[in-house]
Parts: sequence; C-alpha cells; structure tokens
Amino acid sequence: MRPVLVILAILVAITFSVLAFDRPLPRAELNLINGTEFITLDPQRMTYAHDIRLNYAIYETLTRWDTYSDFEIIPGLAQEWSVSDDTLEYTFRLDPNGRWSNGSPVLAEHFVYSWRRALYPDTAADYSNLFFVIEGAEDFFHWRARQLDEYTALTNDQKIARFPDIAETPGLSRNERLARAAQALRQESIDHFNNTVGIRALDDHTLQVRLERPTAYFLDLCAFAVFAPCYPPLVERFASLETSTGRIQQAYDWTKPPLLITNGPYVPTDWQFKRGMFLERNPYFRIPDFAKSATVRITPINDPNTAVLAFQTGLADFLTDVRVDYIADMLAQKEQGLNDYAQAISTFGTYYWNFNCREFLNDGRRNPLHDPRVRRAFAMTVDKHAIMMVATRAGEKSASVFIPPGSIPGFNSPQGLPYDIERARREFNDAGWFIGDDGLARNAQGDLFPTVRLLFSTGSYNGAVALALGQMWREHLGVRAEFDAKETKAYRADLQRQNYMLARGGWFGDYGDPTTFLSLHRTGDGNNNSAHSDPYFDDLLTQAENERDPEKRMRILEEAERYTMEETLPILTIFHYNWYFLYKSPEDAQGRPNPGGLRGMSNHPRNVQYLWLLEVVRQEELDAHLAAEAAR
Amino acid sequence: MIGLILRRLAQIPVVLLVIYTVTFALSWALPGSAVLNDEGRAPPAAVIDAIEKQYSLDDPVKCYTQYLVRVTGIHWLSNRISGPSTTPTDVREYIFDFGPSFRFEDWSVNEIIVSSLPVSVALGLSAIAIALGIGLSAGVIGAVRPNSWIDFATLAVALVGISLPSFVTGTLLLILGPVWAGVGTVGAWGTLGNMLLPAFTLSLPFAAYIARLTRMGMIEALSADYIRTARAKGVGPTTVVLKHALKNAFLPVLSYLGPAAAYAMTGSFVIETVFNIPGIGQHFVDAVRSKDLFLIMGVTLVFASILVFFNLAVDLLYRFVDPRIEQ
Repeated sequence: MRPVLVILAILVAITFSVLAFDRPLPRAELNLINGTEFITLDPQRMTYAHDIRLNYAIYETLTRWDTYSDFEIIPGLAQEWSVSDDTLEYTFRLDPNGRWSNGSPVLAEHFVYSWRRALYPDTAADYSNLFFVIEGAEDFFHWRARQLDEYTALTNDQKIARFPDIAETPGLSRNERLARAAQALRQESIDHFNNTVGIRALDDHTLQVRLERPTAYFLDLCAFAVFAPCYPPLVERFASLETSTGRIQQAYDWTKPPLLITNGPYVPTDWQFKRGMFLERNPYFRIPDFAKSATVRITPINDPNTAVLAFQTGLADFLTDVRVDYIADMLAQKEQGLNDYAQAISTFGTYYWNFNCREFLNDGRRNPLHDPRVRRAFAMTVDKHAIMMVATRAGEKSASVFIPPGSIPGFNSPQGLPYDIERARREFNDAGWFIGDDGLARNAQGDLFPTVRLLFSTGSYNGAVALALGQMWREHLGVRAEFDAKETKAYRADLQRQNYMLARGGWFGDYGDPTTFLSLHRTGDGNNNSAHSDPYFDDLLTQAENERDPEKRMRILEEAERYTMEETLPILTIFHYNWYFLYKSPEDAQGRPNPGGLRGMSNHPRNVQYLWLLEVVRQEELDAHLAAEAAR
Repeated sequence: MIGLILRRLAQIPVVLLVIYTVTFALSWALPGSAVLNDEGRAPPAAVIDAIEKQYSLDDPVKCYTQYLVRVTGIHWLSNRISGPSTTPTDVREYIFDFGPSFRFEDWSVNEIIVSSLPVSVALGLSAIAIALGIGLSAGVIGAVRPNSWIDFATLAVALVGISLPSFVTGTLLLILGPVWAGVGTVGAWGTLGNMLLPAFTLSLPFAAYIARLTRMGMIEALSADYIRTARAKGVGPTTVVLKHALKNAFLPVLSYLGPAAAYAMTGSFVIETVFNIPGIGQHFVDAVRSKDLFLIMGVTLVFASILVFFNLAVDLLYRFVDPRIEQ
C-alpha cells in the first residue's frame, strides 16, 4: 500500500507544480476564437487570414479601407498623399503623431526598412512579389539572391579579401574579419537598394515611392497587411549574419510580448503558445481610445467541433471561422429562429478545378485536355447547382467566372459558359471525340478517350465533388474518370508539377484589383498550376499594365477574364466561397440591442474585419433602450 | 547495481542515435515541401530556394549532420571554443538546439517543447494517478468477491474503458459536463478544473487495464500460502488484503506503469484535440502532416528520451520493491 501512496503523491505533486506555471488569460471586452494558432506576427512574412486580421489590429498601414462602403481607400497613418502626373510617383505625408507602443514616433525611415526587408530573399516573405510594382524592386530581389550565391561560393580568405579595408585592418582575428566582411556585404546591399529601388524617406514624415509601371491599385496595396511597418531597432536586435553565406538570419523572439512593439490601435501584451493572446489598446496610438473594445482575447481552438461547443458555452463572443460540415444545418436553424448566431458572408474567393493545359502529361501521353474545346465541353456539362448540393449545402453562389461578381468597383464580370449539354457535345465533336453506341467517347481512329484522373486533397467535400464531376462527364460525354485522393502535402506537390489531369483548387484575392485573380493564368506565374499559356491573354495583361486610364484598363481586364472564362478555360469554376462566423447579431428581431451581440462587422465580400471596429453589445444598452421605450 | 545502471546509461545514446536516424530518414521521405504553404499563394521560387539553403533542405546528408551537431550540443560547445559562426545578437542560445518550426514560424522547436511538454506531463501523470485509484480499487474489489455482481460490473466497465475510443468518451463527457450540466468550460486550459475532464477521459483505458492486472494478481495472491498463514495468525481481513496480498499483486501493475506513464504523456493527441489542450501530443500528428521536419525530430527525440528513462526508472524501482529480482 505504501508504494502506491508514494507514487500517487509524486504524480499529484508534479501535476500541481506544472499547473502553477500556467496563467489562464482573463476574459476581455471582446473574446475571439480562432481556428488556428497565429503563424507569425512579423508583418512582412504574413500569409494566413488570421495573421492578416491580427495585423490590421496591431499595425497601422499608410492607407486603409472603408470596410462599410465599397472599400474606398481612406487615410491611415498617411494623412495625405500626392501622385505625380505620370502616375508613377507617390508622396505620402505621415501623421507626425504616429507612435510605436514604446512611445517613439513612426518615421518614414521605418517604412523604407520594412519594405526593404520584404525584398530580401533572406526574409523569405511569401508576398515579396507584391512589392515588385515598385521601381527596381524585382531587380533588387534577384540581385541580392545572386550576391549571396556568389559570396557563399567564396572561400573564407576570398571573403575577407573581397573587402580590402577589412583585410588590411591590423589586429583582428580571422573570425572578426569574417564577421565584418558579412556586415560589409550587407551594407553593400543596402547601398545598392538605396541607389536602385524607388523607396525614399524625404524627411521624418515624408515617404516617396516611385513605381516601375502605372499601378492603379497601388494605394490598395499600401493598405494590405504586408505593407505595414515593423520597428527596426527591435527587429535588428534579433537579426544576425551567417558568416559562411552572408545571409541575414532572423530570430523571432521579438514577436513575443513584452518585447513586441507595434504601431497599431492594439498591442499584444501576452501571447502563450496554443493558449491564447491578449491585446490591449496601444497607449500611444495617435488617436486616443480609437479601438472600440479596450481589450481583446484570442483563443486558438484547432478542432472545429470543440470551437463550436466553446462558443456555444460562452467562451467567446466571436468564432472567426467555422469549419464544421453541419454549418449548413446551423444556418437553416437560424432561419427557423432556433439560434441567433450562425452567420455567412460571401467572400473574395472561388472554388474551382484546374485543367492541366499542357500538351503532354507527365507520363509522356498526349493530354486530351490540352484542346480548349474539350475543356469547354467538360465545363458546360457540369451542373453546378447539383454539385453544391453535395458540397457545402450552405448556400454559396455558383460561379461561372473567376472573380466574384460585384467585389471590385468598376469591374463588370463576363457571362462565363452556360450549363448546356448540346453545345458541349458539339464542341466535343469539333475536337474530334464522338460518343459511341456503348456510351464511351472515341476519336476517329477508334481510340477511347483517356480515363481522366481527378486529383484532390482528402478531407472536406472535395471527394464528393470529384465523384459528382466524374459521373456528369461519364453520363454526358462518355468519359471515364478515376480518383486520386491525396494527403494535402502530396496533393500540393503534384499540383505544382502538373502531375494530374484535373485537380481541385481555390483562390482568395489579396488586393482590390482584377489582377489579383487574373495574373494566376499568366505564362510562368508561380501560382499558374494549370500551366495555362496564351499569348493573347498575356498580351492583354501587359496592355493593362501600361494603360494609364483606369476606365480603359478595366475594359482590357474584363476582356482578359472573358477570354479565359469563355474560351481558353484554364479552370472550371464551381462556386464563390462563403465565410462562416458564429456571433450573435447586435440587434434582436424587434430592433433592440442584443446583449452579447457583436457590433461592427463588415458584410463586404473582401471580408476584412478590423478588430478595432468590433464591440460587444452590453446589457446596459438594452436597459437604457427599454427605459427609453417605457418613457415613450 | 551501480554497474547495471552504468551499463543501461551507456546504451541510451546508441538507442537515441538509431531513433534519430530512422526518424530523420522517414520524415525526409514524406511527400511535399516543408516550406510551402498548404493553401494559397506560392512564394517566388527564390524565396523557397533561400529557405531550403538556410536549413540545407536541398541536401539530406548535410541536413542530417548539421542538425545532429545542433541537437547534441556539439554546435553550442564549438561556439564556446572557437567563436560563433554568426554575428552576435540578443538571440537566446540553446545547448540542445532543435531548430525552428516551419509551421509555427515565430516559435523554435525548443520553445514549443518547453511550452507543451509540461502540460502533457501534468495531464498524463494525473491521468495515471486517477487510473491507479480507479483501477486498484476495482481490481481489489473484484478479487475479494470474484464472480459476484460487483466483480462483473467492474469487468464490464473495464471492458468499455478499453474499447471505447477517447474521441467518443471525450466528446460525450464534454456534452454531458459543460454543455448540458453547465459544469466546466470547453476549450479553456490553465486551472485544475479545466484538467479534470480530460484527465479522467485519458485515464479510462489505463484504469481498465490496471483493474484487470490487479484482479488477476490479487486472486493469485489471495490463494497463496502466506495469506492463509496471515489469516491463521489472526490478522484482520483489511490488513491481509491491502498489506499482504496487494504488495505482491502490485508488481505487474508497477511494471506496466512505466510505459503507461510515457504513453499517457505523449499519446494524448485525441484528448488534446477534443479538449483543446496545448500539449505535445498534437505535434506528433500535426508536425508529420505539415512535414515540419525539425518539430518531428524534436518531439520524437524528447519522447524517446522520456521512454528510455522511464523504463530504466521502473526497472530500478522493481528491484527496490521486489528484492528477489537481484538474485
């Protein structure tokens, strides 16, 4: 009996001592549940939706959007700006009251540093190519990559000899010389940047940017998360140079409170890995009490079911993404008045299937989908409404075009291809394929249409959609399909190497311009997974790049989308994504304040939710409302 | 005794090196790229190239040796002796450096392990404590009154405890507790109250197994000669059962506790997911899914070390409890 008690005592003691170290975050004025932990708080390296939403709360960009209107550009940290007559030079006047959370002023210099950082391949910023619209930026990016490669190839002696000053300074150890050589190499790159890239701080509060080519959406880019500044003195403390390669090695200790310094309405005061984050108002923010809620708590919950249960039992006021497949039922229940918190908005994204447009498949066989007529025939035999019944069932809009209609002001979406089996068969016949008596498609030589392989990642509704597609093509075109379900990483690898015939895809736009979608189908684009290559289309995009009249430019881009959606068809669009939230409506059915409801959400498809605009309706508001009603 | 401890300690590095090599080879062979996002925009090729060069992801042999040098602390030592290979910064240096995580870009594997291992240890050990409590009592009761209704009842509960997967029991308890009865919170962590439900869920299969082991051991012990002698001497029934019989019946339970504790600490992936607990178990699965090479290596090596040391500790404890083993 005694050993049992001893063991039990030890176990209990360890348990308690561990618990003593965990400090649960207190409830805040606004409480969020996110579906994942944040990936990074480094503004230049962000890519994920949650990180970007947080970015807008803790950093401040030059411009921002009026999320309640048509996403008009309004001043952010830059109070005003002027554009030169050739539309290439932007001069921003920064608010002199802009402050970092340690009280020091936000300078134009900080933007130069941050944007330069984004253009270093060493930083490995996924979005670095958004900066390529700036004069000399793309060349600098590749210049730096070459500089590092050449430096790495040198022997240590050659590295030191590359900088005669360092080689000749007496009294230095070899290690010190190498370290200094790496620093000199970095200085060389900074000098090169200053001489060739069109980003300049004219004075403390004036930033001038010269563009490579007219970019109608540049002010929109300036509002995007990765264009936010980081605090250079802080970042530099954790940036070292690898002496063998000259590469900048960035450690991320600085993104964790209390070290982290930001310039937005909020500053994170606590971040515990996988436990949660706590935001408080930045005491130095240039507009006092700008953020509606004084404190925000964000709890990451990975499991979709647990997240929904946690919201329902009151852990949070706002679940920022709902990934359970019964969301369709929750929305239907809301219609019947059974809950008041399931919310859906349409977004700036599209679910589609890629056609492999290459002439030959990876195994050397001729690819029948190389012929646009076949691709069009495939697309016109798909009943998208039937597919949505097996996919999300949650009321998304079916898509005949890539860019969600109505999401970009001034851009008129084309028609796209209809659901038309007769026309599809005609196109199919024109391409040389005929449906035989056995219901199977053959060409003039009698060869069967190759079995199409449908590649998709496991999980979610992709498998159901693939089955539905395969069945439609079998029925209407006599084409047999086989299915290739792969785990995400393997699927992604195949997709990038065009090791497929048809593959599931999806895309969300980043900035408010058609090119955020259309550039995907440009020859050689890094995200051109269908390997679509068409000179007319490429030419249209180049024309648009050089067109200074915004109206004419939009017409060119409209033609570009019409051309890909009605003629060359690199992708088969299925539906425009919805985004699902759980939060109580701010007003009840009678229009009274609904305590616990969330006020301030934007319904625009761009789906940017500035956290500092959100607040939870308080009980006092309802009391006051009722008192006023009674008085009347 | 000391010779045995030394011999066992000397085996540990060899065992760990084999585990390191096998894990490295397997995770290297995983399809896809560690540095590429699963969804959305692909970065420029030069960016991927830069990351791959930085961590030698383009050369398995180089990556294997470089990482080995960092993990074992040799890199740290050589920095102390011949000077660092980077310019100085405020970056924390680890003796055993498990490298960065590719999935959680702001966190090093060391930070992730430090933040999640204690949670899993606490959860696992409290589960074992609960399992011991439930399992021993059920086993003893079952053995004292074999084939009675209470024996069958505990057997049935044990069977259910072993057979039901924890995502069923976990979800069931979540719905019964916080959702229906309003007791406790879903998705919160950090207080003792938050730990009760997950620890109880985690303890069930272990409790069931311990109950079976105890019952078998007790039935055997209770029919032994020394028990009859004790009874003949006039020792009370409680003392006979709890002091004389349980001492021998406990031995198989003890040898089961070592691997069970290690398993409870790291095998709680499902529990961690269902109850949203920031433990280490989830990383075993998630890191493999996202091909987070260094995180896979880090958690595997830590788990392997724990397992090796627990087995050693139990072996030594066994000798202490049962002196017959020495001969």
